[in-house]
Amino acid sequence: MAVIAELKNVSFQYDEDKPKVLNNLSLSLETGSFNILVGPGGSGKSTLCHLFNGRIPHLIDGILEGTILVEGHSTADVEMKDISCSVGSVFQDPESMFATLSVEDEIAFGPENLLFNREEILESVESLLNLTGIAPYRHNLVWNLSGGQIQKLGLAAVLAMKPRLIILDEPTANLDPSATRGVHELILKLRSEGITILLVTRELDDFMAQADNVIVLDKGSLVASGEPYSLLMTQGMRMEQLGIWLPETVEIGLALIKAGYKPDQIPITVDETLKVLDKYKLCPEGRVLEGPEIAYHRQTGNPLIKADNVRFSYGKGIYAIKGISLEVYPGEMLAIVGRNGAGKSTMARLLIGLNKCTEGNLELFGKNSRRWKVPDLSNHISLVFQNPEHQFLTDTVAQEIEYSFQAQGVFDTQILEKERDRILAMLNLEHEKENHPFALSAGNKRRLGVATMLVGDPKVLIVDEPTYGQDKKMTGTLMKLMKDIQARGIAVIMISHDMRLVEEFADRVVVFSEGQKHFDGIPTELFNKADILEKASLQPTLLFQLLKKLEERNVISKGHIPGSDSFTELLLGEGEAS
Amino acid sequence: MIAIGLFLFKTPFSGGAMFVLILILSLAGGKITPGEIFGSALIVFGLGFLLMIFHFFIDPGKVLWSWHFLTITDYGLIQGPIFFFRLSVIVLSSFLLIWTTDTRDLMTSFIKAGMPYRYAYTIFLAMRFLPLIQKEVDAVRSAHAIRGRASGSGISHRFKLWQRYMFTILINGIRKAEITADALECRAFGYKKQRTCVKDIFFRKRDLILPISTLIILAGLIFMERSKWMGFLGL
Repeated sequence: MAVIAELKNVSFQYDEDKPKVLNNLSLSLETGSFNILVGPGGSGKSTLCHLFNGRIPHLIDGILEGTILVEGHSTADVEMKDISCSVGSVFQDPESMFATLSVEDEIAFGPENLLFNREEILESVESLLNLTGIAPYRHNLVWNLSGGQIQKLGLAAVLAMKPRLIILDEPTANLDPSATRGVHELILKLRSEGITILLVTRELDDFMAQADNVIVLDKGSLVASGEPYSLLMTQGMRMEQLGIWLPETVEIGLALIKAGYKPDQIPITVDETLKVLDKYKLCPEGRVLEGPEIAYHRQTGNPLIKADNVRFSYGKGIYAIKGISLEVYPGEMLAIVGRNGAGKSTMARLLIGLNKCTEGNLELFGKNSRRWKVPDLSNHISLVFQNPEHQFLTDTVAQEIEYSFQAQGVFDTQILEKERDRILAMLNLEHEKENHPFALSAGNKRRLGVATMLVGDPKVLIVDEPTYGQDKKMTGTLMKLMKDIQARGIAVIMISHDMRLVEEFADRVVVFSEGQKHFDGIPTELFNKADILEKASLQPTLLFQLLKKLEERNVISKGHIPGSDSFTELLLGEGEAS
Repeated sequence: MIAIGLFLFKTPFSGGAMFVLILILSLAGGKITPGEIFGSALIVFGLGFLLMIFHFFIDPGKVLWSWHFLTITDYGLIQGPIFFFRLSVIVLSSFLLIWTTDTRDLMTSFIKAGMPYRYAYTIFLAMRFLPLIQKEVDAVRSAHAIRGRASGSGISHRFKLWQRYMFTILINGIRKAEITADALECRAFGYKKQRTCVKDIFFRKRDLILPISTLIILAGLIFMERSKWMGFLGL
């Protein structure tokens, strides 16, 4: 097969004083292939994308060694505008890419630059609006679109330029599962049209099975690349160790290998997993997989938060919250899930007092929410923003923590230093003490965001998308931290799209859809309610889908089986016993 | 055209007449509410007013009133309102243009008038960036609000917070601007000197009504100021 793009011994460093981000990398993308690029945080995935789209060396400074060829031409010798004729890029934040005001104009922008003729552009705008499903929003202003629509518009705007290679850097990072599915379907449609795709993503699930090639990076070096099944067979364990998000089905396959089984291939889809389980007769009819009893609904004592038929409108009679009742109890881990624009963030703003509840009754810590002032309320309830940088107020990590203590009225230098060091140690941030908060890694910024909010022992901690942009290892660290916080009796509310996270960590899950609450219960119960999942654009995890299929074969699952680790423990533990 | 006319006016009455005309045009023709007009232009009107007062006292001429070191001259009384109306009319007519013209049409007309599209797009991109910055400002304001107050409300503390506020917005604004600039390059912006224009705009005969009538009014006022008709302007 012909090669559309190739790297030959490429190394890159952003600065002479900094280590190499990419290290002697050689790989190629075949024409018309669908390539998935994975790697832990900081492995150089985005930098690799910049090589193919010409941002390196044309727009981003640094030291580049080796050769990058796109359609046989070295990108160093071709002007950026010429590279853009063959390579299209959808950035991590497509909203920042937009150059015009309306959806239609945005799609037309690229082809207008390339001097396509007017009729051709109009035709292509029309077909792309339909292909991406955003035709009803054609006259909308770009900043009035939802997250999913923004991603689709970003893709349509790039496709309009008729590129032969498309680079997609985490296009579904902040999308609800349904919008993610929509983008994945669109990507597969493009592949069928012969466009070469390079996709950076952590949302692999059964979509991984469709890839022609999976490229694994770590610390700027190529770990492996190849067809997904053979790659998983040889490198699956390594990928797991690196902290790369793998589908739960793959994790089950790898656990079987660790236990001494020798499947022909690592399963990716649910059906493939069933075949492997059948092969080894691990789930015969009548087998019972019994997890620990569910000890949720710690609805003891007085609720910290009591919302009764709360409604909220940002004006013009359009309600973001339409009569939600909700109670939050001490020491519980509550997940609020729902599609983009379901009212989750608005609810969080009401709880921390940034918006005032005007209709219905919202009681916060025994007092009507309207009687709370935001700074006073912040002693009881904290919110860790999705972008922690927004919260930083000082010039060093240490000062950030000190500021939070001072806001609590602690000014004694000795106490301040002692408490500051305690918090820094708790979050493993001591070595970053003198660094500027903006200079921290993404994971550490997130931890510092949590640290500043933990000061003063709040009763409720809200975390907006706790694992956004984090690899599996960092997610594990952050969630362990959340569990520790919960163990101290603090109620943790996580707002998330990540259903694996909900399945594994949440005691209780609340589903919002179009400003209303549609479900309040334990995650397993939610996954059984197909109508609610559909309404809220959610979908059950692969593990739950597997358990459902096993149930159809009279394999009974009981209690709480929160993740692939628990499942394989039950499966193999009992399997060996039987 | 209006700006040139304003600089040729010798009396405040012509400027005042233009101010009233454009105000009526904004309210009646542009369907802009008084609240919108004064909400947006209040700072400029205030600045113009201060400029006027300043001229009352500093311009040379026959002293009409004095108190200690403060003197008001006849020339100052003429020049003050002239400057007020110059500033207010220019700003008000610019607002009228922005309020009543589609930004894309405005950019296209600049390009049609011969401005290179890279420059015309600069104005357009600035407009595109405003909502993004607004979003950023809202997010930072909310995030800072929930951090609580560290040391009361002293002015130096507030200044420090404001500094941090601006720092975050500036850093993130620069990052976004860099991404946008790179994205433009990746989308072949500047590929050739020309570019296709899908939504073209065409000049219609009735579009001439406004500039011609403005020209007539300006010319009329300038003529009256310089002729025996000056009496009509109350001079």
